Amino acid sequence: MNHYTADNADIVIRARGLTTRYGERQVLNNVDLDVRRGEILAVVGGSGSGKTTLLRHLIVLARASAGSVHVLGQDVGALSEQSLLALRRRIGVLFQNGALFGGMTVLENVGAPLREHTQLSDRLIDELALVKLALVGLGADAGLLYPSELSGGMRKRAALARAIALDPELLFLDEPTSGLDPLGADGLDELVLSLKAALGPTIIIVTHDMDSLWRVSDRVILIGDGRVLGEGPMAELARSEAPEVRRFFQGPRGRAAQGRSTL
Amino acid sequence: MGTSAHKHATAAVLMVEEGSVRCMGNWTVAEMHPLEQQLPHIRWPEQATLTFDMQAVQRMDTSGAWLLARTVQNLNSKGIQVSLHGLAPGAQALFELVTKADGVPRQLPQPKRTPFLINLGQNSLLALARGGDLVAFIGETGEAAIRLLRHPTRIRWAAMLHELGQAGHRALPIVGLLSFLLGIVIAYQGGVQLRNYGANIFVVDLVGLSMLRELAPLITAIIVAGRTGSAYTAEIGTMKVTEEIDALRSLGIAPMDLLVLPKLMALLIALPLLTVYADIVGVFGGMVMASVQLEVGFGTFLDRFDEAVSLDSYLVGLGKAPVFAALIATVGCFQGFRVSGSAESVGRHTTLSVVQSILAVIIVDAAFSVAFSYLGI
Repeated sequence: MNHYTADNADIVIRARGLTTRYGERQVLNNVDLDVRRGEILAVVGGSGSGKTTLLRHLIVLARASAGSVHVLGQDVGALSEQSLLALRRRIGVLFQNGALFGGMTVLENVGAPLREHTQLSDRLIDELALVKLALVGLGADAGLLYPSELSGGMRKRAALARAIALDPELLFLDEPTSGLDPLGADGLDELVLSLKAALGPTIIIVTHDMDSLWRVSDRVILIGDGRVLGEGPMAELARSEAPEVRRFFQGPRGRAAQGRSTL
Repeated sequence: MGTSAHKHATAAVLMVEEGSVRCMGNWTVAEMHPLEQQLPHIRWPEQATLTFDMQAVQRMDTSGAWLLARTVQNLNSKGIQVSLHGLAPGAQALFELVTKADGVPRQLPQPKRTPFLINLGQNSLLALARGGDLVAFIGETGEAAIRLLRHPTRIRWAAMLHELGQAGHRALPIVGLLSFLLGIVIAYQGGVQLRNYGANIFVVDLVGLSMLRELAPLITAIIVAGRTGSAYTAEIGTMKVTEEIDALRSLGIAPMDLLVLPKLMALLIALPLLTVYADIVGVFGGMVMASVQLEVGFGTFLDRFDEAVSLDSYLVGLGKAPVFAALIATVGCFQGFRVSGSAESVGRHTTLSVVQSILAVIIVDAAFSVAFSYLGI
């Protein structure tokens, strides 16, 4: 995409030796990770595997016990709080439960980052918020509702609209399809692909939805016990002989999803 | 102007030159502000077609594409056809995306405005309904309390003792401090006047009667309303937001039994005890002031106290405490159950809870005063 000309390094996130401990418990153990510009990377792993912690490092909300994380060419460990804020503006995050602000309408939620970080007029901000809502498939009437009045699928879409409000270079999606019915989940997968085509951000998805993995991701990283167990395109991982990888992808659900994806 | 386009981060620029329009700079959300300000003041050339030269635009994101699309639409509606030249492919795609007819409505949605009279009527009905809800809540609480008294084994002692510790024991420092200061202030202010008449000893009547009858119960109730009533609302409200109340109901546990009654019982015990404590500490504050300022020693003070203050006065003050406790617990829990949906709602109802319970306490206190004077107590 042409709006990434300023920063032409090919790796947008680079983690080396990333280690996190909560007291005695080691959550991440020496994780190395590269995210390439423009790809859709899926991070998968069982519950408690450390993938949410990894995500919190990558969106610059947590700092590592050891190791380094470079996001968009900047060493996160060395940044001041001020520069971290500036960096976070270039990152959009869809939280698992949406995390929409309950006291604001959907339109105000989507406009909130614009209102905070730009001097644009209220009218233009509302229009831009409507554009973003249209991009995620929500109409103008949905903009007047409060988050508590939305269905699960609409809430995810509204939260996604807020995540892309500032046209982020990095877009993180934490379990975007969880809690959605199969139709809604399919719709969200398609939405992710269409946003990728339209806005061109690098997308990192944390998920354990096998169907999403097959449909959306360019590359998959499997996390287990705080380590990277395997990585590669989904088709490659599914053929992998490594026992830990096989166990994850060759269960009945994994195989069913593979079957559907090749239809 | 020409050189500014070569700087690192340049604002979005649009220039009208001899029948064509030249755009440059970063058409991105951080750089759009100056252009947005400038746009309404641009004088467009009076001609049927206009060419936008977009070659020098370095970057474009959704906001830039939208502003461009909006400008093009405005010109079209004035009968000017626009052709774009030199738009980078990615930007072109974005531009088409935001112009798509089905995508973006032309009109901002307007929240519905209701006429004043309808608004007034609706709000009045709402207020009435809210009053009705409160009465219903009191009824439910009473019913649950009677049910519990019939089966005392079902009283949740652990929950109640926990609430008692929170509302009673932990409030001792603040209640003590405030009533001590109150006693000092009354003794001092009254004492200054009494000394003029040489009636120093009557400071005992002043402190004793005002503290025991009126001020100790009132100040304790106000502190407890702010401290404990608000906590009740916030706790129940947050449980409502996180669907814990629904979970309790679905498990066959009545929220009344688990949440409201232990709180109510705890406060019914804690507030009278706190009031007695406030009586003692408040009078002690007055005693200290009397001995320092008015030469009324502790011994003299206590002798006079016996004569001046009847048991009635003490009981009148103490008798108000359970009523205040019931008010505070009921309002606090009721507001908690009225929370809906959001964190903001928790805050709003917590505020309401404190305001309403303090208001209720003061009104009921005034009613008590009138009733007591009528009855001659």
